[in-house]
Amino acid sequence: MLNCRGAYILGAVLLVGTNLCGLAIPWLMKLAIEGLQAPTSQGRFTPAQYGGMIAVAAVAQGVIRVFSRTTLLNAGRRIEFLLREDLYGKLLTLDRTYFSNWRTGDILSRLANDLTNVRMLLGFGVLSLLNTVVVYTAALFLLTRISPFLTICAIAPFPLMIYIVKRLSASMFRCSKRMQEALSRLTARVEENVSAASVVKAYCREEGEIETFRQACGGYLEASMGVARLRGWMLPVMASTGAFGTLIVLFIGGGQVIRGELTLGGFVAFNGYLAMLVWPTIMFGWILNLMQRGAASMTRLGEILHASAEVVEPDEPVDPGVIEGGIEYRNLTFSYGTAKMLRGINLKIRKGERIGIVGVVGSGKSTLVRLIPRLFPIADGTLFVDGIDLNRISLDKVRSAVGFVPQESFLFSRSIADNIGYGKPGATREEIERAARIAGLAGDIARFPQGFETLVGERGVTLSGGQKQRVAIARALIKEPSILILDDPLSAVDADTEEEILSALSGYYGERTVLIVSHRLSPLRGCDRIIVMEQGAIVEQGNHAELLELGGRYEAIHREEQLKAEIERL
Amino acid sequence: MHFGGIYEDETVGKIYDRRLMGRFVGYVAPYRRLIVVALLLLPFIAASKLAQPWILKMAIDSHITKGVMAGLPSLATGFLGIILAESLFSFAEVYLLQYVGQKVMYDIRVQLFSHLQRLSARFFDQTPVGSLVSRLTSDIEVVGEMFAAGIVTVVGDVLVLAGIVGIMLWMNVRLSLVTFSVLPLLIWVAFTFRNWMRVAFRQVRSRQANLSAFLAESIGGMAVVQLFNRERDEAREFRRLNSSYMEANLPVITWDAALYAVVESLSSIAVALIIWYGGGEIVKGNLSFGALVAFIQYIEKFFSPIRDMSAKYSVMQGAMASLERIFGLLDKEGKEPESKPQPPGPSAPAPKQGLQQICFKDIWFAYSDEDYVLKGFSLEMRRGEKVALVGETGGGKTTVTRLLSRLYEINRGSIAIDGVDIREMSLQSLRRRIGVVLQDPYLFSGTIEYNISLGDPEALQRVEQAAAMVGADRFIRELPKGYQEEVRERGVNFSAGERQLISFARAVAFDPEILVLDEATASVDTASERLIQQGLEGLMQGRTTLVVAHRLSTIRDADRIVVIHRGEKAEEGTHAELMSAKALYYRLYQLQFKD
Repeated sequence: MLNCRGAYILGAVLLVGTNLCGLAIPWLMKLAIEGLQAPTSQGRFTPAQYGGMIAVAAVAQGVIRVFSRTTLLNAGRRIEFLLREDLYGKLLTLDRTYFSNWRTGDILSRLANDLTNVRMLLGFGVLSLLNTVVVYTAALFLLTRISPFLTICAIAPFPLMIYIVKRLSASMFRCSKRMQEALSRLTARVEENVSAASVVKAYCREEGEIETFRQACGGYLEASMGVARLRGWMLPVMASTGAFGTLIVLFIGGGQVIRGELTLGGFVAFNGYLAMLVWPTIMFGWILNLMQRGAASMTRLGEILHASAEVVEPDEPVDPGVIEGGIEYRNLTFSYGTAKMLRGINLKIRKGERIGIVGVVGSGKSTLVRLIPRLFPIADGTLFVDGIDLNRISLDKVRSAVGFVPQESFLFSRSIADNIGYGKPGATREEIERAARIAGLAGDIARFPQGFETLVGERGVTLSGGQKQRVAIARALIKEPSILILDDPLSAVDADTEEEILSALSGYYGERTVLIVSHRLSPLRGCDRIIVMEQGAIVEQGNHAELLELGGRYEAIHREEQLKAEIERL
Repeated sequence: MHFGGIYEDETVGKIYDRRLMGRFVGYVAPYRRLIVVALLLLPFIAASKLAQPWILKMAIDSHITKGVMAGLPSLATGFLGIILAESLFSFAEVYLLQYVGQKVMYDIRVQLFSHLQRLSARFFDQTPVGSLVSRLTSDIEVVGEMFAAGIVTVVGDVLVLAGIVGIMLWMNVRLSLVTFSVLPLLIWVAFTFRNWMRVAFRQVRSRQANLSAFLAESIGGMAVVQLFNRERDEAREFRRLNSSYMEANLPVITWDAALYAVVESLSSIAVALIIWYGGGEIVKGNLSFGALVAFIQYIEKFFSPIRDMSAKYSVMQGAMASLERIFGLLDKEGKEPESKPQPPGPSAPAPKQGLQQICFKDIWFAYSDEDYVLKGFSLEMRRGEKVALVGETGGGKTTVTRLLSRLYEINRGSIAIDGVDIREMSLQSLRRRIGVVLQDPYLFSGTIEYNISLGDPEALQRVEQAAAMVGADRFIRELPKGYQEEVRERGVNFSAGERQLISFARAVAFDPEILVLDEATASVDTASERLIQQGLEGLMQGRTTLVVAHRLSTIRDADRIVVIHRGEKAEEGTHAELMSAKALYYRLYQLQFKD
C-alpha cells in the first residue's frame, strides 16, 4: 500500500491547487466590486478584466479538480483492489478448520460490504477530509485578512455546532449499532425460515412466520427511523450554522460598512468565503460517520487478514526428491475440536500397495486419509511419507504427489474439460479424454450436446451425483499422482458403472500407492490389504480371505452386504 | 480458464431499467399522500432558501449602501426566522422521505417473504439458502438507499431551480439571460456524460457479478484448490477479475470527477459573466449593488443540486441491479398447489365426527422427470391405527409421508381422507389435521415455549400439557428459566434427545388427528434413547399414526407393518406374521433392527 502514498500526496497537492483557484474567485469579486464603487481609483482593472480573471480561475479550478478527484478516488479503488487481493490471498492459505468455523455468507459479506466501507473511507473520506482542511485553513486566513473582528463574530456559532454534531454523532453511533443488530436479527429470521421450510409448511405456520417476520421488519424500521431522525437533524443544524454566520455578518458587518470601517467589496467577499465553509462543514459530519463505519469494517476485515492457518509450511523444508508413496502412521492421535477422531494409529503402507479402508459413519476412516494431503494439522513425528516427517515436506510437494478424490465432489462452474484438466495445468485433450475414459465418463460426455466443452453448474448442465463423482475421479487421475486417495468415490454410482470403473482403474494403478475408503465392500475388491476402523482405531486388518476367516467386524459387514444383495434381487 | 463469457449482461437495455422503475413506483404509490406532503414542503424550503439572498440584497441596497442603520435589526430578525423555518421544514422533509423509504422497504420485504412462504418444497430443495437471504436483506437495503440519497427530492431540486430562474428573470431579464448563456453547454455536458456513465456502470455491474460469483465458488471449493496445488492459478484468475473490476470503475470516477468539475467551473464562469456584464450595468446605473450580490448567491444555489446529480445516478444504478434480482424472485413460479374448487354438496368434508380412514390409491410419484420413487403404491389406514413403514434407504418411505401433507404433488393416483381427495381440501385445513415429526428436529432460535407452540395461540394453551405428555417437562423444568429458556440457533444448547422431545411436544401441542413420524436413523446415546422411547408413547397415544420406523420397539408395537420395496408395497402384516413369512421383511429386520 506504500505506492499509494505518492498518489495521496499528489492528490493533496492538486486539491490545494484547485481550492486556491476556487478561493481566488471571491477575492477577485471583492476587488471587482471595490473597483465598481470607486471607478476612478488608479491601477484597477475593468469589470470585464475581472470577469476574465474569474473565468480563467474557474477553468483552472475545473481542470485541476478533475485530476485531484481522479487521483484520490483512484487511489481508494487501488487500495480496495490490493486489500481484496490480500484478503483472497489469505483465504487461499487457510485450512479446513477455518472454513468450517466461518460461514461462507459471512466471509462474502465482509469482502463485499465491509470492503466497500473501507474504500469509501479511503477514497471519498480522505478526499473530503483534505478538502475540508484546505478550504477551512485558506478561508479562515482570507477572512481574517478582510476583518479579524468580523471573522471571530462569524465563527462564533461554530463551537456550538461542533458540540451539537458531536452529541448527535455519539447517538448516531448507538443508533447505527442498534440498526445493524436489528438487521442481523432480521437476517437470522429469514435464514431460519428458509432452512426450515418443511417444518413451517407441515405446521401451517406460514401466517405466523409472516407475522414474526413483520415484527422483525418493524423493529428494524423503528431502529432505522432513529437513525433517520438524527440524520434529519444533522443537516439543518449544519446548514443553519452557516446561515447564522451570515446573519451575524449582515448585522455587524453591515454596520461596519455603514460606518465606513469595511468596504462593500470586502463585505461581499466575506459572505462568499463564509458560504464556502458551509458545504465542508456539512461534509464534516458525513466524514465522521464514514470514519466510524470504515474503522468498524476494517476490524472485521482484520479478522480475516490476521487469521492463522493451522496447516502451515515447514520452516526448514526437507526436499524428498520424487515422492514414491511409502506412508507410515506412528502412534498417531488426532482430535477435531474436542472430539477424538483417531486414536493411536500405527500403520505402514509400502510403496505401490493398495489399501482398502472400511468402517461405519464416524469411525474415522475418512479422517485417516485426509491427513495425508495435510487437510488437517498433525503433530510432528506421527505421519511419514517415504520416511520423512510429513510436516517437514513443503505443502506443494506433498499435494502434487497426492491425487485426492473427496467425498463431496465439488466442481467449478467451468467446462467439463476444464474441470478434469484442473488436476494438471496445461493438460492436452488426449490426456483429458484418457482420464475421462478411465473414470467411466466417456459415454456420458458423448451424450452432452457440447461434449467436453459443456458447462457445469448453475449456468450449464446439472450433473448427477454419480457424474460429478466421476469428473472428480478423472481430475485426480490426470494428475498422475504417486499416491491416489479415493474417499468413498463411488457412493452415487450404480453397480454396473462401479464394476466398469474399478476394472479401468486397476489398469491405471501401476506403481501407485492407492488408498480407497468405502462404507461398502464392493469397491475394495483387488486391494492388497483391508483396514477395518471403529471409533477412531484400527480394529482389524488383512486381506479379504483372512478377514472373513477372522469372523469379526469385517465378516459382519460382509454378511450384511450379502443380505442386502439378496433383498435387491427380490 | 476464463469466466468472462458466463455472466455477460452488459447489454441490458435502458427500456428494461424503465420497466423496473415503473414497477417500483407501484410500491411507492400507497404512500403518495406522504410524498405529496413532502413535495408540498419543498416550496417552503425552496422559498426559505431563495429568500436568504433576497434579504441580503435588501440589506445592501436599502441600508448598507445608503447608510441607513434603522430597519437592519428587523431584517436580521426576519433572516433568523427564515433560517429556523428552513431547518424545521428540511427536517420534516428528510424525515418524511426516510419514513416512506423505510415503509416501502418494509412492504417489499414482507411481500417477498410472504411469497417465499407460498413457494413449494421443490423450490427450497433447489435454491441455496444464502441467495434467498441476500435478496431479502442486502438487495432491499440497496433499494432503500434511493430514498436516503434523495432521489425523490430531485423533484424538489427541479422546483428550486425553477424558482431561481423565475426570481432572476423577475429581477433582471438581461442579466439572467447572460447567466443562462452557460446552460446549453451544461445541459449538453450533463446528457453526454450521463450516457457515457451508463455504459461504464453497466460494465461495473457485470464485472462485479463475475467477481463475486468467482469468490463464492472459490470459497466453497477451497479444499479442491488447495489439494490440487492451484492456489497460484486461482490467485492469478482472481487478480484478473479483480483488476478488470477496478479498471471498470476508473472511467466512472473520471466521468464523475469531470461532471463535478464542469458544473463547478461553469458556475464560476457564470459569476464571471455577471461581474463582467453586471459591472458595466452598475457603472451605467442600471443595476444596484445588492442585486448583483444576490445574483451571485443565486447562481451558487442554482448549481449545487446539479453537482450531486452524478452521485444520485450511481445510487440509482445500484438500485436497478437489486430491483432486478428482487423482482426476479417475486416472479418465481412454483407456488404450492392451489386447491381445486370444492364441489358443493355430498363430497364436502364430513363435519366434526373425526377421522375415519386414510386411503392412498395407486400413487405414482417422481421428484424429477420420469424417475419414479413410488410406483403404484396403495395403503389404507383406519382410525387409531398405527402403521409402520419399513424398507431400504431411498425406497420411498419418507416420500409417502411427505405426499400425505401435500408437500409435493403426486403424479398419478389419489390420496383421500374420509373419502375426500386431499387436493380438494385447502392446504391449511389438510395440514392442520396432520402432525409431522421430522427425522432431524428443527429448532428455531427463541424460547422453548415458542418452539413448542411456534407462536400459534391455540397451541400456546397446551404447551405445558404437551410437554408433560411426551415427558419433556422434566428436563424443561430443571432449566433456570423453564419454558422461557432461550434456544440458540438450531438448538445447539440442547442434546439430540432433548431436541427430539421438544419436537414431539410441538406435534402434541397442535393436537393433530393424524401423526406422521419419521424416526431418526442416527444413533443417540443411551440416555437420549430412553427419553425418546418414553416420549414416543405419549406422542402416539390415541392418534392415527404413520411412522417411518427405524426403531425395534416401534415396529413391534405397530398394528401393521408395510414393507416398501422399489416404490411398491411388497409385504404387509404384523411383525409376527411377516417374520414367519421369512421373505423381504425377515431380511430387512435382520439388517436394520436386530442388533
